[in-house]
Amino acid sequence: MKRGFALYLAFLVFMTCFLGWYLTRPKVLTVGLFAGSNWNVPEGDSYALLEEGIKRFEAEHPGVRVKYVSGIRKDDYSEWLAERLLKGEEPDIFVVPSQDFDLYASIGALLPLDRVMNKDADFDPSVYYPKALEDGRCKGISYALPVGSVTTLMFVNKTLLAKEGIPIPDNTWTWQDFLRICKAVTKDTNGDGRLDQFGVYDYTWRKAALTNDARIFSEDGKSADFSSQNMEEVMRFMAELHAVSQGQEVTAKDFDMGKVAFRPFTFAEYRTYKPYPWRIKKYSSFEWDCIKLPAGPSGSNSSIMQTMLVGISARSGEQRLAWELLKTLCYDPVIQEMVLTKSQALPVRRDVVESDRAQELLMETTPGSEKMDLKTVSEVMVDCMTEPKFPRYKEAMNLADNRLYHVLQENSSLSNALSQVQKEINMYLQR
Amino acid sequence: MTETYTPEERRLEWLYGLLGLYNGFVVLMMAGFMSLTQEKIINTMSAHAFLTTLPIVPLPALRGFLAAVGAYALLLLLGKLYRHGGITSGQRHLVFAAEIGVCMLLMRSLNLAYDGVVLLAVADLMHRYHEENQSWLLLGAMLGLYFMANYNLAIFQRHVAPFDVYAAYYRPEVQSVLLAIKNGLISLNIVLFVLYLVLLVQNKHHEKERIASLNKQLEEANVRLRAYAIEAERNAETRERNRLAREIHDTLGHTLTGIVAGLDACLVLVDAAPGTVKKQMEKIRETAQHGIVDVRRSVKKLRPDDLEKMPLQQAIKKVIAEFAASSGVEIHLVELGWPDKLREDEEEVIYRIVQEGITNARRHGKATKVTVTCGLEPGRFYIIIADNGAGCVEIQQGFGLRHMEERLALLHGRLRYWSDNGFTLEATIPMGKNAIENNREA
Repeated sequence: MKRGFALYLAFLVFMTCFLGWYLTRPKVLTVGLFAGSNWNVPEGDSYALLEEGIKRFEAEHPGVRVKYVSGIRKDDYSEWLAERLLKGEEPDIFVVPSQDFDLYASIGALLPLDRVMNKDADFDPSVYYPKALEDGRCKGISYALPVGSVTTLMFVNKTLLAKEGIPIPDNTWTWQDFLRICKAVTKDTNGDGRLDQFGVYDYTWRKAALTNDARIFSEDGKSADFSSQNMEEVMRFMAELHAVSQGQEVTAKDFDMGKVAFRPFTFAEYRTYKPYPWRIKKYSSFEWDCIKLPAGPSGSNSSIMQTMLVGISARSGEQRLAWELLKTLCYDPVIQEMVLTKSQALPVRRDVVESDRAQELLMETTPGSEKMDLKTVSEVMVDCMTEPKFPRYKEAMNLADNRLYHVLQENSSLSNALSQVQKEINMYLQR
Repeated sequence: MTETYTPEERRLEWLYGLLGLYNGFVVLMMAGFMSLTQEKIINTMSAHAFLTTLPIVPLPALRGFLAAVGAYALLLLLGKLYRHGGITSGQRHLVFAAEIGVCMLLMRSLNLAYDGVVLLAVADLMHRYHEENQSWLLLGAMLGLYFMANYNLAIFQRHVAPFDVYAAYYRPEVQSVLLAIKNGLISLNIVLFVLYLVLLVQNKHHEKERIASLNKQLEEANVRLRAYAIEAERNAETRERNRLAREIHDTLGHTLTGIVAGLDACLVLVDAAPGTVKKQMEKIRETAQHGIVDVRRSVKKLRPDDLEKMPLQQAIKKVIAEFAASSGVEIHLVELGWPDKLREDEEEVIYRIVQEGITNARRHGKATKVTVTCGLEPGRFYIIIADNGAGCVEIQQGFGLRHMEERLALLHGRLRYWSDNGFTLEATIPMGKNAIENNREA
């Protein structure tokens, strides 16, 4: 009897100790992200923003530590993350590579966020740009929050246009304006019989399709539509644009030398190359600025938005804390503001982007961008498109690039050629 | 477990063991293969390509392996409990349900690559299948298992990493070998299972035959026993009749003969010597007196043996104990009071009522519990015999009840009986002053 009681007491003490330890044990959250910029631009300290976020989070949540593995290159990140998932050691919250987002959402690797979002009284999803939030959805369910985004804008060589006496187009310009200016600036300036000044570099059919509202892929990524009226307009415009340079290839070097009037750029590229020292290194010979992309006859001055998405692992042991951390990184206005200073991207909170402080910060970190009004950028962010994220999107687009390039080169019957391309892409998608 | 096995049963157990061992081996192989492949995939940097072909994120290699092996161990344990554990039928159904649950878990952790473990559960179910009225249950369970397997395949197919995806990691020629091995393993399991079923059915058949033959023997023995019983009764009757005849012959016959002879002598002498007649008459009276004593003694011999040997209380306890022991009826005696003094005829009536009452409870009511209560109230003694038997809607007074009533009537007692939640019988006998008054009235 006495021994039984002693045993019982020992058990009780043990349980109390265990419970005490369990409740007060140091909680560790892990974050997965890659080194380098998400937007393919050089970046000094790619962990700066995360570090700030962690600092804030750890201050608000004593007893919780946040760790991350540094030094994973962006190219290796997708494989690294897949390995972690297979080993069951994935980070609690991690950056989801956009080409893997649909995959991870559909195989249940990501925690659906709608429930926590709705339950959290502090969280208001309407502060985000709808498109940015939409990007973290798959089949109507939220799986990730955006931390930053970039839009594609049209780079304008101010020096060249000024020399030709052409005013900088405003933000409502159309393909016709675009084509007109391209025709006007394309010429042989040194008289060697070869064109050495061009209208545009790196303007692809994808951007034209986007600004002409040509929806190519179905929602599920199982079929493609290349034979629409809009797409034909795109191809006809591309052919005209192509004809302007009389078959001569425009190169990046021509652009760097200041011999090209237009080049589509992402916001990140704009921010990276505009300030010192990149400006000096790369484009010292001319002044430049950014405007919206020209609108097609059936479309608008739309733009493409890329977002950096962060999600929570469905198997995370600390989902509540992970959500708090995710909120700090993606929702906290202070951190959102830091997106402007610590990275090359734009915040995804509309109120942050449109604040006067943001404009000041942008001016500080990106001097000489008189034309770059954040209000304009904000407008672009509101009516922009996001890229589909189904698993074979990249491959399908590369295939389409290749085929459409040949269509342009061969100048054959447009509708026949397009339906041929459509057939091929569909075959690939349905394989 | 002190069960003794026939050689057939032993063979069946052995085969079941083999089935269990074999399934364990297959589970180990499958889980091992998938876990190792998963590790290899990680090591060769093809994790991303592998994930894109899956509908879910699979469990980490080691955890998946342990889950499969653990679930299988649990399944074996439940199987053992189901087959041999000393548990009630309800608990057994629970165990079987748990077994099915674990089965599904195991199949899931094996990514549905191997569903042979379902057959193990079916083997358990078949093993316990005895009664005829369980056949619908068995049919239901079998159908359920069949649908479960199909449902698993249909529904979970989208929620597991299929075996083929793991196999696809290897070169095509290795793939075909792997698939062949897998199919071979599944087929061999089915062969073992069918063998087990055949043996089981054979076993059941033999057992049925054995039981049928035992039944026949038992019936024959019963018939013989009944004949014996009738004969024994008849013997006892004859013996008793003979004894009565002898008694009558020895006592009454003897006395009456003496009286008749004496009276004859009186008739002759009555005129000649009235004095002698008077003497003679006295002698005759003496003889008659003797006769009465003898008759009383004879009657006494018909009294229950127990009452002769011991007081009423003990005799009643004894008859209850003996009846309880021989019939298996649970009988409680509640003694609330006994009269101080009882006449022999009263004792006998009480004894007979108790005896008849508990016999009736067993015979007519099929009771399993009887409570005999006896107690004293002012002026009367009562006995209540209540049973939990069938009772009867309309009480038909049989010989037993009428006899009891007659016996009680002689003592001015009363008998009441009614049927609710069994059959209850209440007998009252007047005692003390009442009894004397009653007797006087009578």
